Amino acid sequence: MIHQICSRPISSASSRREFLYGLGASLGSVAMTNMLAKEAAPSILQNPLAPQAPLNPAKAKNVIMLFMEGGPGHMDTFDPKPKLNQLHKSESKLAAGLETGFKFFVGSPFTFSKVGQSGIEMCDEFQYLRDPEIVDELCNYRGCQAESLNHPEALFHMNTGSRLGADPALGAWATYGLGSSNQNLPGYVVMTENALPQGGSRNWSNGFLPAYHQGTALRPTGSPILDLQSQGYKSRAHQRAALDALGYLNQEHASHHPEHADLAARIESYELAYRMQMEVPEVVAIDDEPEYMKEMYGLNDTDTADFGRQCLMARRLVEKGTRFVQIFSGGWDSHDYLERGHRARIRSVDRPMAALIKDLKQRGMLEDTLVIWTGEFGRTPDNNKRGGVYSIGRGHNANAMTMLMAGGGVKAGSIVGATDEIGAEAVDVKHPIRDFHCTLLHLLGLDDNKLTYFHAGRYKQLSQFGGKVIQELIA
Amino acid sequence: MNSRIPLTLLTGFALSSQALAEFSDEDRHFTLKVLPLLTEKCFGCHGDPNQKLKGGLDMTSLEKLLHGGDNFTNVLVPGDAEASFLMTTVRWDDEDYEMPPKENDRLDEKQIADLEQWINSGATWPEESVQEKIYLAEREREVTDEGVLIKTSGGLADTWTYRRYQAEDVWAFRPLDRSVEPVAQSAHPVDSFISAKMEEAGVAKAPQADARTLLRRAYFDLTGLPPTPEATESFLTAYAADEEKAWTDLIDQLLDSPQYGERWAQHWLDIARYADTGGMSNDYERSNAWRYRDYVIRSLNEDKPYDQFIMEQIAGDELADTSLRKRTPDWDQYQTAREEGHYSEKEAELLIASGFLRMGPWDPAMVKVEEARQMYLDDVINSVGQTFLSTTMRCFKCHDHKFDPLPARDYYRFYASFATTQLAERQAPFLEVEERAGFEEGKELVEELLSYATEKKDELFNKQEDAAKAWYAERGKPYVTLEERKDLPDEEKPPRMVGLDHIEQGRLKVREQDVWIWTRRLERYQPMVQSVYNGPDSKWANARKLRMNTKGNADWVPNSTILSGGSIEAPGVPVTPGVLSALGLPSPTASESDPYKLPEDQFGRRRALAEWIAHPDNALTARSIVNRIWQYHFGKPIAGTPNNFGVKGAKPTHPELLDWMAADFVENGWTFKRLHRLIMTSDTYRQSAQHPDFDKLVNGDPNNDLFAYFPVRRLTAEEIRDGMLQITGELNLAQGGLPARPEINMEVALQPRMIQFSLAPAYQPSPTPEERNRRSVYGYRVRGMADPFLETFNQPNPNDSCAVRDAASVSPQAFTLMNSDLVTDRSIAFALRLEKEAATRDEQITRAFQLALGREPKADEAAKMKDYIAEMENYHQDSHPTKREYPTKITRTLIEEFSGQPFQYEEILPVFENYQPDTQAAEVPPATRALADFCLVLFNCNEFVHLY
Repeated sequence: MIHQICSRPISSASSRREFLYGLGASLGSVAMTNMLAKEAAPSILQNPLAPQAPLNPAKAKNVIMLFMEGGPGHMDTFDPKPKLNQLHKSESKLAAGLETGFKFFVGSPFTFSKVGQSGIEMCDEFQYLRDPEIVDELCNYRGCQAESLNHPEALFHMNTGSRLGADPALGAWATYGLGSSNQNLPGYVVMTENALPQGGSRNWSNGFLPAYHQGTALRPTGSPILDLQSQGYKSRAHQRAALDALGYLNQEHASHHPEHADLAARIESYELAYRMQMEVPEVVAIDDEPEYMKEMYGLNDTDTADFGRQCLMARRLVEKGTRFVQIFSGGWDSHDYLERGHRARIRSVDRPMAALIKDLKQRGMLEDTLVIWTGEFGRTPDNNKRGGVYSIGRGHNANAMTMLMAGGGVKAGSIVGATDEIGAEAVDVKHPIRDFHCTLLHLLGLDDNKLTYFHAGRYKQLSQFGGKVIQELIA
Repeated sequence: MNSRIPLTLLTGFALSSQALAEFSDEDRHFTLKVLPLLTEKCFGCHGDPNQKLKGGLDMTSLEKLLHGGDNFTNVLVPGDAEASFLMTTVRWDDEDYEMPPKENDRLDEKQIADLEQWINSGATWPEESVQEKIYLAEREREVTDEGVLIKTSGGLADTWTYRRYQAEDVWAFRPLDRSVEPVAQSAHPVDSFISAKMEEAGVAKAPQADARTLLRRAYFDLTGLPPTPEATESFLTAYAADEEKAWTDLIDQLLDSPQYGERWAQHWLDIARYADTGGMSNDYERSNAWRYRDYVIRSLNEDKPYDQFIMEQIAGDELADTSLRKRTPDWDQYQTAREEGHYSEKEAELLIASGFLRMGPWDPAMVKVEEARQMYLDDVINSVGQTFLSTTMRCFKCHDHKFDPLPARDYYRFYASFATTQLAERQAPFLEVEERAGFEEGKELVEELLSYATEKKDELFNKQEDAAKAWYAERGKPYVTLEERKDLPDEEKPPRMVGLDHIEQGRLKVREQDVWIWTRRLERYQPMVQSVYNGPDSKWANARKLRMNTKGNADWVPNSTILSGGSIEAPGVPVTPGVLSALGLPSPTASESDPYKLPEDQFGRRRALAEWIAHPDNALTARSIVNRIWQYHFGKPIAGTPNNFGVKGAKPTHPELLDWMAADFVENGWTFKRLHRLIMTSDTYRQSAQHPDFDKLVNGDPNNDLFAYFPVRRLTAEEIRDGMLQITGELNLAQGGLPARPEINMEVALQPRMIQFSLAPAYQPSPTPEERNRRSVYGYRVRGMADPFLETFNQPNPNDSCAVRDAASVSPQAFTLMNSDLVTDRSIAFALRLEKEAATRDEQITRAFQLALGREPKADEAAKMKDYIAEMENYHQDSHPTKREYPTKITRTLIEEFSGQPFQYEEILPVFENYQPDTQAAEVPPATRALADFCLVLFNCNEFVHLY
């Protein structure tokens, strides 16, 4: 997390402005490009997470990203490959992938249907998502290509634009560019399953962006944020008294140090913490939701309750002003027992994500909330033997994958791009991950080429070296 | 307009055979300034024959430019820049046509002016033969108004090779400039340079800081710990008697303390990316990585000359093996000695030092072996470049450097100098000085965990094999073991994991993983060192076990080439090992035809490279380290980007001072302690953080580039934790050895964490407070699981080299310092100490201020705090803290990869069976809890967490 304060040519002017507004140089990193390009009022410097107007007209204001860790098989979810069923268990000579030795093709264990007016293809394991009301909101993108065949690198790539695990995550760039509209809640929230995904918190790191932009992990159990609440024997009044005593000492001290503007920022961070102590528990208290809502998200079913709770929480967070929410759902890495594995995973996410889209739509939030469902890569059409047995599963595939999107200005009810007839490789509207990232920023009204941060001698950007907006995805 | 073209061409043609002086200014301007600009910034989208033209505009000839694009015909209006739409686009005046569209590529003012001048003077476009002649003539002139030529080993194209640099941009590649010496009258050389700048700016320097401030500054700076009240008192007395002597004595005393090395090693480890694990999918432990950590601490405490420090870290293994070879003439015996680690103490130390080359995250799992190899080499040379030369190497891997005089050829010559370097855990006896406390206990714990995992695994395995036996029996066939039946066809053997349900299948996998995790953990107790050796590339790699191959062909050398676009699929021109040519500093093995060449044998490449880096005339090396040392003292470097001195890095605020100090450092034996003394005895270091003319400075020098007052900084994560522990009296100053396992947030300690195929075992802290409350530099650093307290306070991610710590104030810091068990326990310990050392509330308050802030409380502060404690004492009459429970086992839930269904298993936490927790709130009376509340407030206050 090397963070070098903006030192672009105009830095002295900007630092002066920060200074005049009573804040430290460490706050100087508010989307500088944005600000300077548009000469925004300096008052927004007062808070690095203050909401900011996007550079361009935005389709989406918020993002909810459902991350299927492990890599769902595209040919087992939204991109049927009947050819594979014909080839099932026959020898595969494909060179890609990491599997070695005798390889054979694997047909999907699932049946598929075209659903909705748009005829989006979907495996029949999806029971809820096929609801016509939802399905015609979806955009299925089949052209994205990853680069890494290994989970953490591929996760880092999809989440941060770099395979190295040290760069800012998508959500960090989003809050850097747009701020967040509720100052009592984190602007970028991450929820994981029981276990952290491979690579851990590097997947939602602020990287070289200032620490304000780091993803806040809402923990699945225990305190939603580490040490959010004071020790059990200390009441809120006790907390207030402590903050007041602290405030007294800090005030005394600050009066002797006008040169050190960061003191004020630190005092404010304590007050924000105090407010978050109230607001965060409220937003995670989903028991307040009406029964039909809990039912809709699948909270009453043990198989869907965890992901359902997180999807419901995501909606509540976005409603309250959180900019970017990410939910990680693991277990998609079906090298074997594909049918059992994918069936269970699909079941665990189907109902909650259908409910999320429906709920957002009913509340009129879908048009400015971009929902994304993706893994870190797709899966291979073939597999090798494991323990000497034909294992019906699939390897990692960086050349093809599948994504679902809804809302936020994407082309509803459409299938964009295509993979070849066995799903080995994307062949149409083929784009690397960086183009997907540029598109995401574009939908948020941001321009990857303009949303930059000067670090270690270079203006850095999410796509690393620039990319293209995938126009076909945009409504 | 059209009539102008032939005329221009004709003019160009007529001049083509003339000498340089006779080329028109316009032709020269176009050829040398405009065309390179258009080529670099425009032709990619408007003239690449392999790409679709953007907007239908081709800019590669005057004719095409005049024709315009799909939407505009007025792209270029010769003679009228204002009417030319080209100017609108490069100025970014039209939101829809900002060109080039990337922030990084945007034209600067001078480039815009060049274009403008070109258009206004008629948009001359001489033909290629004229351009060629102008180029050739130009190459003969080293310095022109366009800038300077820098001779390198050559770029991929002549335009790169002969491009010019602004002299001030390439400052870092130039020899040290000793033309400015400190003013003789000045009391101190550092102040001489700093004052000169301030006088120029008409700014007076800040007054000297008071004695207490100086003391706290020096303590944190040199040891990372606050001064004790006793140290404060004795310093104040000495300072009153003789300021100068007291100050220099203090510096000497602190530099002599072992805590100096611990503190400054942390800076180095940030750059080197120290961690105890390898990161990526498996996050394997790097057994005994701590030996490198202790080597760094030792080297700093011994004041090892920096040139030696460089040599050892880049080529320690080569130096050790050269020494071993000298006394072991028989080749086979030599190889056996290497394998078995028959190294002397001195040689073993060298092997430990080479651990620097093993600090990056790396795991070849699921990566093709050639790619994994490239990942390592790219990483290690970037690390060497950033660390020692302040040069970000990865910027010229795929192409010649966009801004710096660093050709891709040099990248691959540097790369070649590591191309025989192989990764290995090597045998090297433990040194006399290496701390081996905790080996026995640690081993016992690991063995317990291993035997539990083995037992559970065997149970499931036996169940599976019983089912397999039954399967064979049913078919009347003889039983075939798992190993033997592996390759039989499906029909001739029982199904995989027969007899186990999905829960048992999941559990078997977890237990199998655990067995080898704990087996491997036992490596910790062997005299192993993370190191490298020279040898041939191997056909496979697994980070789980990396051993030296002494049987490899000792004559093997790799075919090194430039990799086009950085891809191993696209080998280009062959290269030999070599150093960076832009410095003009020959390598120690230079030849007449190739001054930058390094040895081409398998052995000895890195040693020669290290000698070049550590050469007294290597200006990058000297500037790099001196800049870093300055930065750690002031929290602010002289050259703003310490890991990148390139053209786009920040320029030094005081180049003369930097060069003078660098030269002085090298001439006087490369010693750090001498440099610390030099910097710390200056008035600049000793000045106050407050400035009487502050309001004026805010406008004139908002970033304090003049160093007109001492820059305030927040304490680092480690300083906060170690400082608290010292203040409470809990800090254990034991040095070195196995990674310490402090208590961390229990939710994080027990939180499941994915590794390839399984979950990582839970984090178990050390059982006793003494073991836990060691200095933070000794803490166990797991790449996949940061210590949440330290991470919250910006301990850097060890996946990337950190030159400057972040210190932004964010709310999670408030949560941690106000609410965590960790800090609450510290506040209780602090309160207990105060009660022991002071009888009355007033005395306790005074003592608390002395310990935490190094000063007495002011009367109103004391009164206010006394009221607060009284109020809290009242509150705690009715508060009911509970004692924390430490689980001795934990139930894990994991989603089984095969079934996609969750399953559970039990993990044991034997450490908590005989755990000695810190004293907790539930164990102390209300009065102590109230006092602790005040202690907690002190740990949170701005004065404690900042250094003035």
